[in-house]
Amino acid sequence: MANEYIDVETLKFLLNEVHDLEEILNLPEYNDHDSDSIDLLINSVKDFSDKEMYPYFKEMDENPAHFKNGEIVVHPQVSKYMKASGEMGLLAGAFPYKDGGMQLPSTVMNALGYIQEAANNHLPGYIGLTIGAAELITHFGNENLNQTYVPKMLNGTWGGTMCLTEPQAGSSLSDIVTSATPDGDRYKIHGQKIFISGGDYQGAENIVHLLLARIDGAPAGTKGISLFVVPKNRPDGHGQLAPNDVETVTDFEKMGQKGYCTTHLFFGGNGDCHGYLVGELHQGLKYMFLMMNGARIAVGRGAAAICAAAYQASLKYAHERAQGRKLASTGKKDVHQEQTLIVNHPDVRRMLLLQKVVSEGALSLVLLTSKYQDLSKSLQNAEEREKYALLLEILTPIVKTYPSEMGRVAVDNGVQILGGYGFCSDYILQQYLRDIRIFSIYEGTTGIQSQDLLGRKITMENGKALQLLSNEIKTTIKAAMVMDNLQAYAHTLGDKLQLTQDILKSLLGYAQKGDYERFLADATPFMDYFSNILIAWLWLDMAREAQQALLTGSKRHNTTFYESKIHAMQFYFTYELPKTTGLAEIIMNDKALTIGSKQKVFGNEY
Amino acid sequence: MKILVCISNVPDTTSKINFTEGDTKFDTNGVQFVINPNDEFGLTRAMWFKEKQGATVHVATVGGAQTEPTIRKALAIGADEAIRINAEPTDGFFVARQLAEVAKNGGYDLIIAGRESIDYNGGMVPGIIATLLDMNFVNTCVSLEIEGTDAKAVREIDGGNETIATSLPLVIGGQKGLVEESDLRIPNMRGIMMARKKALHVVEATDAPTMTADVKFEKPAAKGPVKLVDAGNIDELISLLHNEAKAI
Repeated sequence: MANEYIDVETLKFLLNEVHDLEEILNLPEYNDHDSDSIDLLINSVKDFSDKEMYPYFKEMDENPAHFKNGEIVVHPQVSKYMKASGEMGLLAGAFPYKDGGMQLPSTVMNALGYIQEAANNHLPGYIGLTIGAAELITHFGNENLNQTYVPKMLNGTWGGTMCLTEPQAGSSLSDIVTSATPDGDRYKIHGQKIFISGGDYQGAENIVHLLLARIDGAPAGTKGISLFVVPKNRPDGHGQLAPNDVETVTDFEKMGQKGYCTTHLFFGGNGDCHGYLVGELHQGLKYMFLMMNGARIAVGRGAAAICAAAYQASLKYAHERAQGRKLASTGKKDVHQEQTLIVNHPDVRRMLLLQKVVSEGALSLVLLTSKYQDLSKSLQNAEEREKYALLLEILTPIVKTYPSEMGRVAVDNGVQILGGYGFCSDYILQQYLRDIRIFSIYEGTTGIQSQDLLGRKITMENGKALQLLSNEIKTTIKAAMVMDNLQAYAHTLGDKLQLTQDILKSLLGYAQKGDYERFLADATPFMDYFSNILIAWLWLDMAREAQQALLTGSKRHNTTFYESKIHAMQFYFTYELPKTTGLAEIIMNDKALTIGSKQKVFGNEY
Repeated sequence: MKILVCISNVPDTTSKINFTEGDTKFDTNGVQFVINPNDEFGLTRAMWFKEKQGATVHVATVGGAQTEPTIRKALAIGADEAIRINAEPTDGFFVARQLAEVAKNGGYDLIIAGRESIDYNGGMVPGIIATLLDMNFVNTCVSLEIEGTDAKAVREIDGGNETIATSLPLVIGGQKGLVEESDLRIPNMRGIMMARKKALHVVEATDAPTMTADVKFEKPAAKGPVKLVDAGNIDELISLLHNEAKAI
């Protein structure tokens, strides 16, 4: 099932040629791996996904997770996948050797996650959250918590979750009220959590919740929040498990990702829910946010993967479906001719190319951000680590947002290519469209990411992160300038950098005057604008690499492959990048139409 | 028991095949290579002998350095050592001659090769190895049990199966049935890491004549468009099947 849901050749091109994985594998932390072994690993995970994931994708949508008799019924493949993933090493892969892991870089782990999510995005969350929960324990938990929970989580026997949201506290975590009352060397937990992905499911021996709660008497706001391990079943120290008073209230019925359960949990209804403090008192939110860069990259990765899978599905359809005829030079159609494949219609090609540039651009962004994450963690030189940490910070809200927002637009175009069939459950496109919708909400909505980008990341350390990013872009522009067929595009990108300076000058003026509401009011259009330019940069870089390969006669891919990358870049610069001009106009408007709560801007109804 | 599994490095079945140099050379640019499926069934059976009967499993291939990822995969699946015979696999006789030389020097009890590779489909390698080494040979082998030096093999014959009693040393031409597709193993991360540390010996080729030369490759004709026939129009259907598809 070669390209049924993913183009592995493009993944390898981006990983090895554009983003130079070798540079990471040469770092001391990762040099037990080489590019051949990573290549084999990618092929293995593709085989694994073909076998354990893709065949269940449609079934999981048609047989959603649901609440029945006090527990969540999920597709039987969930438990098999957890176990198989443990055996495959997918849970432990990124962990250091000392924690039983394989010490793989984040760039590789995200490439592997991307394959899985493209195969079946309903499954990887189960291991993703288990990995995240285990990471919190290994980073901040004591030895006892490590030994008790982590090995079984990393071999796929026990699941893990992150319990943050409460009915009254979604984006505003400072308002959580779940309580933790000291009880000897542990705490009694009481409260409820909602939207807990993978929170409970039939067949799970145990689920380890990493839960935010407020210790009695803790300061108000985010500074009074602590982190706890709260297992569904608590180990008794003799190899047995006892119920820990964690009740599953229900499973949320959703428009997409129906096989991935989203639960409502009640902790301590009978006063017997034990929680174990992770790290220091009142540091819970800080610990969670130290893991947040990785979580946000993972969300962007998932959206990029769905977008890529949808592209493959509509590309296949467009090469099979004959409909209508090409226009003759007279401007008319010859009805006696056989119908042509729809891929031959310019409007269909436009939509396919949009899917291609968005999905591959998004993947490139995910891999680049992952690379910055690895370099910021593992380089020997502290100054260099700091540089990449800043680049990681500024890209994180974008890598979470662009694939989620533009990915949805691209998938929507994929549905359109199928016409009426795109709207029908006989074809998979409608499922991708429903599934991708949540990604612009997960881990901080687009609005929150946009405010993070404009309000914090652009301005952090007097704009140092932005300056570093601009330098990276200018390096690509300079390299592309010497290639005749890329020169004009390099110039255009340079002009867009200048336009960005003008926009920021305009916006920062509001901040300097103390009008922060106006400064951030159009943070989301700014995110659209800025991410569009970043993807243009990444496409120029892909085209530069492809052109270089053509010039040097690289044998890694054939000529058609490389030429298609240059063509896609041209499409991006012609059909997508010009949208930034209109966005700039929106961002620099002086009308402030969205600000103010007193005017009756919605008419008389409200 | 010491087993040698012969591995052919073949294009993934989903690769797009193109030719160069006036259709005389296969264009390998951008092609993903894999273990020949018939060899992989044999390798998986060999792993069973390793795990259940304590066999040692070596794998060998004939090819340049670009074939190493394929035999590394065999190591990641669990083979103990690998041998790469550093030569272009020009034709079936040449390949069999190289593998026979390695097998002769290695003292193997059982040599497993796929009954044919899925690229050139020559189907001659295991038979020639057996001939050169003067060993027992079972082709199209779909089942193999070994007890001491006694072997019970089942081979596929026209319309059924034939069970054969034979003995080691033995060469088989293996295929699906030795194990099922669901038994094939996907290397896990730990296996892949361990494979990096296992021995991969590179040996130079022994002198052997190349018996054949490629003159020209041709692809099958492109498929034509689908023709829809009205459900009641049996005459047209028969005419199309007879005159165009030549199926009846």
